[in-house]
Amino acid sequence: MTDTQTPRIQAVRPRAATPAAPPPKASARDRGTRLLAALFLAPTVVGIVVFTVVPIAGSIVLSLFHWNVIDDPEFAGAANYREVFTDSTVLVSFRNTLVFMVLAVALQLLIALVLALAVNGRMPMWLRSVFRSAFFFPLVLSAASISVVMKYLFNQDFGVVNWLLGLVGIAPVPWLTSENAAMTAVVLVYVWQQFGFSFLLFVGGLNNIPKEIHEAASLDGATGLRKHLSVTLPLLSPTLLVASVVGIINALQVFEQPYVLTNGGPGDATRTVVMVIYESAFEQLRFGEASAVGVLLFVLIMAVTALQFRLSRRFVHYQ
Amino acid sequence: MTDAHLTRRTLLRYGAYGAGAAALAGTAASWDRLTGADIPGRDDGSLVVATLGPAYGPEAVRTLTEGFKEVHPDIKLRINAVQAVDWSDFFAKILTQIAAGTAPDLVYVATEGVQLFAERLGVALDKWVKRDADELREYFADVHPSLVESMMYEGSLYQLPVEFNAADMYLNRQVLDRAGAGFPAADWTRDDFTALLREMKRSSGSQFTPYFWTNRLWGGVVPWLFANGTNLLAESKAPGGRWLWDGFYPAAERRGRGGGFRWTTPQATDVRVEEAYDYLASLIQEDLCTRPEGGNGQNLVGVFSTGRVGVTPAGGFWAGGLHLAGMKAADYDVQYFPRWRTQRMQFGAAGYALLRTSQRQEEAWEFIKYAARRDTLMRLFETNQTTPARRSMLTADRYRETGPRHWQVFYDTLDKFPDTGPIPAPPQVAEVEQVLLKHTGTALASRRSVGPALRRMQNDLERAMEREI
Amino acid sequence: MNLSRARHGLAPWARIAGLTVCALLTLGPVVWTVSTSLRTPAESFDLPPKIIPTDPTVDSYRGVFEQIDVWLLALNSTLVTALIAVGQMITAGLAGYAFARLEFRFKKPLFALVLATMMVPLQVTIVPVFLVLKSMGLTDTLLGLIIPAFPTAFGTFLMRQYFLGMPKDLGEAAMLDGCGPWRTFRSVYAPLATPGLAIVGVLAFNYHWNEFFRPLILETSGQNYTLPLGLVSLQGNLGTGSISVVLAGVVLSMIPAVAVFVVGQRPLREGITSAGVNR
Repeated sequence: MTDTQTPRIQAVRPRAATPAAPPPKASARDRGTRLLAALFLAPTVVGIVVFTVVPIAGSIVLSLFHWNVIDDPEFAGAANYREVFTDSTVLVSFRNTLVFMVLAVALQLLIALVLALAVNGRMPMWLRSVFRSAFFFPLVLSAASISVVMKYLFNQDFGVVNWLLGLVGIAPVPWLTSENAAMTAVVLVYVWQQFGFSFLLFVGGLNNIPKEIHEAASLDGATGLRKHLSVTLPLLSPTLLVASVVGIINALQVFEQPYVLTNGGPGDATRTVVMVIYESAFEQLRFGEASAVGVLLFVLIMAVTALQFRLSRRFVHYQ
Repeated sequence: MTDAHLTRRTLLRYGAYGAGAAALAGTAASWDRLTGADIPGRDDGSLVVATLGPAYGPEAVRTLTEGFKEVHPDIKLRINAVQAVDWSDFFAKILTQIAAGTAPDLVYVATEGVQLFAERLGVALDKWVKRDADELREYFADVHPSLVESMMYEGSLYQLPVEFNAADMYLNRQVLDRAGAGFPAADWTRDDFTALLREMKRSSGSQFTPYFWTNRLWGGVVPWLFANGTNLLAESKAPGGRWLWDGFYPAAERRGRGGGFRWTTPQATDVRVEEAYDYLASLIQEDLCTRPEGGNGQNLVGVFSTGRVGVTPAGGFWAGGLHLAGMKAADYDVQYFPRWRTQRMQFGAAGYALLRTSQRQEEAWEFIKYAARRDTLMRLFETNQTTPARRSMLTADRYRETGPRHWQVFYDTLDKFPDTGPIPAPPQVAEVEQVLLKHTGTALASRRSVGPALRRMQNDLERAMEREI
Repeated sequence: MNLSRARHGLAPWARIAGLTVCALLTLGPVVWTVSTSLRTPAESFDLPPKIIPTDPTVDSYRGVFEQIDVWLLALNSTLVTALIAVGQMITAGLAGYAFARLEFRFKKPLFALVLATMMVPLQVTIVPVFLVLKSMGLTDTLLGLIIPAFPTAFGTFLMRQYFLGMPKDLGEAAMLDGCGPWRTFRSVYAPLATPGLAIVGVLAFNYHWNEFFRPLILETSGQNYTLPLGLVSLQGNLGTGSISVVLAGVVLSMIPAVAVFVVGQRPLREGITSAGVNR
């Protein structure tokens, strides 16, 4: 979305300078503008520097030390990184996180898109707003407490989910205790809570598509699914980009759901990178190693996001 | 622009001013709350005691504070009930406090953390115990030596145990009746246990699992390892400790005691460990037993109290829990863990550990003694939320309302089985526990996965034990 | 005859039926939570679940108030959430305006920096943040939760979008009238920004009311806990808590979030929507 903004900013600049005014006054005004900008940005920028930039630098430094909080830090060079790259738990957690991200984001976008298209169809206003509110509701709940609730619902022997499946003749699934099912359960719980976000993005994006385009497409004989694939989707692609960027950034940081539902198990099946950071820092007191994992996760998120913007140049159409 | 617009604008402006003023006033009024300055005893030299929140509600905190004030009006006390779902979560928070430079003086520590704290953070109590020996004689006479020994590390005593929980078997009476089975005998065997589960399964419908357990260090796989005469880590005893045994216990109870446990070499691939896992895997395969579930928040007292589960391992703490869940004293009962090769059982105990960094060690010792007094514990453990460490407190009276009928089982697990011991918890406990839970999950996926998972567990345990903490 | 159906892909009734099923699945867990909190613990695992409790009881809610100091926790949560919301409205409003309407050097890299902070997982920086707070003497205080949350990348982005969406001529007219940059902001743009700020405020409230991880690490004294942290203790030692009480706690903590959802649904929805609209 940053890309779309750029031309606009450049377009603004020459015009903003045009208002005819004598040069000296303009420069005083410019100085005033700069001062104001500095004042306005100060809280945000200072805050970000103190509470994000400095801590990131701190994490990088910390990742080069062995530190258990109790004793003084001890320089370790690249030892933490070597440790991380040979630790099967850490490696598995990166794989899990990527698998989780792909599944969760794909499912979330798909559900949200289908529902947004459906809600966008003809129906009474009140009904539409009921649906919109319902799909959006889980978003206002706390991920931690909802995961506690879901743990009961997904219990293999006594949970409502398996009971419902039983009604349609499906044998009980060991949701939280078998490797594949556990990942599925974590994805489902996460998507259940998160799809409302993408859903709202899509609803907004669909509203923005001029009616005439749909009508023109219909006149050209495009119908149903084909119309959506060939007309709606390309027009929606900027929204799709935002939804997937935000979705991916969030999914790569998943913590609460696996922490509460499965505690990373069975085995390491649902242990995510952030869980590993939490466990090695706050449970095992290996802050250096935790920081090294954190730095790697940060690099991964940057890389994935950059890749997305690169790909988006080819696939995203702006009106 | 119309007038209406202007007024709306003015309104907005005044509204904004008003909101700003209110925010400022609110901030100013609550400044003490925001900076924590209103927390009594925060920086006034109080003795700070960190306890596990869920075990110590507001009521218990008040009881402890007021009682202590009566005995020691000169010592200011602040009890910090730390919210955590389990012990590793609790220790994480304590360690964070230490990192923040806001370390408490005393920390409530269970077996899970005894050696970790002793090794890195704690102060041995030996000199005070020797000094106040006369005062403490009554305490030690009332507390089983196994509990005391579990609080020793390399010959020194680090805590006075105030509570413990052994893993005994809770049985649902309703399910027993349904199965037409009698209450098991004290010397029941593993095979009796299996047969009972089968009968329970036969007589109950779907949505019923005879044996329910939680995958954790205390009360998970470990009781089965003990029953089969083995352990996760090879167990031995540190030398020393004579000073305590000779001073407080009669010769009969001294035998075999040492200076605390040493858990060193991992032995996950030991034949007997594998047997225990094979056994559990076979129960799961037969649908007699739940799969090991990890994670927090398993409030599954409900499934037991409503007869969806027949048997589950738990300690004295469940008597209170089941009562809260609405279970009557006659609805359930408790028996020892079944015998396999041995009938050795496992427990975890807890008490207060004194931190090296404390500036108030004498006052802290006074609190430790106060917290172990009989009258203190009587007031604290009113609701049977745990098993008191003092034998004399386990009375018919205590369990009349909550049950179970065989309440004697709780302390007899120690008295009648003197080899009953603590769960393995070396200083590297956090990682050992994580490795155990993790590979238990995969080992019990199917019978074939037991061997490979235990080999991986062995590797990870070796790695964990080598690590300095 | 089938023309209209073909055009829309699905018959309207099928579409609405499908949506209804999805809405039920979405709200199901919430309904289960509320109804289970109103049943006795013994009934909590009944299958099929009794959605309407046969004889509802509020015992569980009483239990919550007995077991934790709900009022103190709620006060803490309210203070933290409200101050963060106000703080974010200020920082995001100012920075958003600067990025949208003021010209200065390093604008693009600064904006990129702000957006990049969205990519930093909390858990990565929490240890150094902890140390920074320690050096400020703010560990284990509510201020330690509040101050670091003031800068908001998403909020700044929203407000920038919002200011960009206002007609430029307004400001230009003011400038021609001789208004300086401050007066242009104060008397022309700022009053128009209220709805945008509401969006930022509601989003901040929603996020920080439910926040779990930062309070878990930063607050160590029980007196400084926020509601989500306090609820943990309802689960009891070794999971002996009653499920109905746990769920009653969950429901109690939901109430303010739901209230904000009802009152602030439009700003919240618009906030999220506007992020995706390419202006």
